[in-house]
Amino acid sequence: MIKIKNLIFEYNANQPIIDNISFELKPGKIYVLLGLNGCGKTTLIKLLVGLLNLKSGTIEYYGNPIERIPYNERANFFSYVSQSSSNIYDYIVRDYLSFSLVGNMKFYNHPKEFEMKKVQEYASKFGIEKFLNKKLGELSGGERQLISICGAFIQSSKVILMDEPTSALDLKNQNIVLSKLLQIAEEEKKTIIFSTHNPNHALFLDATVFLMKNGKIIDYGISKKIITKGKLSQIYGEEICYSEEMSYKEISFKRKK
Amino acid sequence: MSRTKKIVIFFGLSLFILLTVFITALMVGRYSISIKDFVGSISTNDSIYDTQRSVIINLRLPRTIIAGLTGIALSVSGLLYQETFQNKLVSPGLLGVSNGASVGAAIAILLGATNSLISFSAFVAGIITVILTVIIGRLFNKSSSISLILAGIVIGGFMSSIMSIIKYTADPDTTLSSITYWLMGSFADSTLEKAFVISIIVFICIAIVLSISWRINIVALGYEEAQTKGINYRFYRYLIISIATLLTAASVACAGAISWIGLIIPHIVRLISGRNTSRSIPLCITFGGVFMIVADILSRTFTGGEIPLSAITGAFGSIIFVILLVIKKREVFSHD
Repeated sequence: MIKIKNLIFEYNANQPIIDNISFELKPGKIYVLLGLNGCGKTTLIKLLVGLLNLKSGTIEYYGNPIERIPYNERANFFSYVSQSSSNIYDYIVRDYLSFSLVGNMKFYNHPKEFEMKKVQEYASKFGIEKFLNKKLGELSGGERQLISICGAFIQSSKVILMDEPTSALDLKNQNIVLSKLLQIAEEEKKTIIFSTHNPNHALFLDATVFLMKNGKIIDYGISKKIITKGKLSQIYGEEICYSEEMSYKEISFKRKK
Repeated sequence: MSRTKKIVIFFGLSLFILLTVFITALMVGRYSISIKDFVGSISTNDSIYDTQRSVIINLRLPRTIIAGLTGIALSVSGLLYQETFQNKLVSPGLLGVSNGASVGAAIAILLGATNSLISFSAFVAGIITVILTVIIGRLFNKSSSISLILAGIVIGGFMSSIMSIIKYTADPDTTLSSITYWLMGSFADSTLEKAFVISIIVFICIAIVLSISWRINIVALGYEEAQTKGINYRFYRYLIISIATLLTAASVACAGAISWIGLIIPHIVRLISGRNTSRSIPLCITFGGVFMIVADILSRTFTGGEIPLSAITGAFGSIIFVILLVIKKREVFSHD
């Protein structure tokens, strides 16, 4: 259970980027933060994983205020996937995935059989075993993002927060990443917080949606109720429409069942 | 062949080479000692070997120990800086430690201090300079690496200008030449006391680095990834900066500002080990030691005087580096 109360964050006085947000998240569900670029999605996620310091308000993970959780224990509460990591290209995939286990290791320990077994297990779940001995730089953007997400699952945290993990990917790779995420999140009963500017992602993930605008949550609910022309026009403007109203057929991917 | 196996083989081999060049360094020089005399002088108390024994113990042993440890210290701190600042072009002088230590030494030389006082002054000035850099970097931004690098450039530049003023005021015939010679790097002033002090510093620092050698990988991922994977990023970053600073300050204090080695050895090692600090740090230790002892042998063997160390490390380092980059160009340049 994550409780967020009266969260305010600003870089300059009286220009709040996060403007008094409160909500509660239940374990084992998928949540989507939906909004335009600059609406505060990234800032909210960075606050939730402790990368930015709170100015006012509280964030509690299972009753523990985030600022009181020691760094190594935070790894058991939440993990984080960014839009893209630029500094990881030289690492071998197997090594990189083992880094996710650092929170539960002594400072002098190196990964041993137990840790590498876990890496192997999750790599096969995500279907990325064939990349284990390659460098991340040799892979495509989609494959790299799949590996970042795999790393977040290896961390074994209760909650996984993802900041637009598919924004740099093409249509097919978006579909691959989202399908894998959905399948494994359901298997492992993870709480997922996923930010995106594409409303279709919320429908695809069958998630609870938080609609964000100017640092506020202006509406929330299950995706089928929120992803409607009426509600979305508040942030996307009056020109949005359903695909059947268009003069051409829009292309998308099916959800596998 | 597995990666671990490859590293174990390379480490064993380079350790053997390190021991070999260490012993060779004790025998060769302007006064060369044969293997028979060498064995005789260290295994017996026979007075016929007194000259040899004195050369080995009083002259060559301290300078070879200091050469080896300086090589280790500069290579490891170069690697630590490159990983922590996520920048392969960074060398141990990044945060101003070498410039600061040089100023410390120059002031001591100007005041006519003794050999050990010059080293002490260099060591302290190097550390104070880095503390200054960190303080100024924090004024810019607390968690950014760029702010620290910028502060390092500012302080480094400031220290260079102080150095120019010192050189300008120094007597051209005596102190100016000592300062200039000191800046080019040399092991000629090595003593057993200095070797003892630098041994303690290097052993403690290397022991800490080896114990967290795997964890440094995670620090190298940067603030966001490191912190959310479950480590206290700022603590580890300052720990690593402190260790790298101590190592560099100690070696500059003993041997002057030796360029290139801290930049080149980590690159050579990474071409073999790949980017994983639990594999690259052990190799950095042996490679750095070998490289510097060989450089010292070259500096004192070929001419009547001594060739400045930086001239040797620069010339050989850059040639080796170019050859390696040509061999491995596909891996090195493909992702840029």
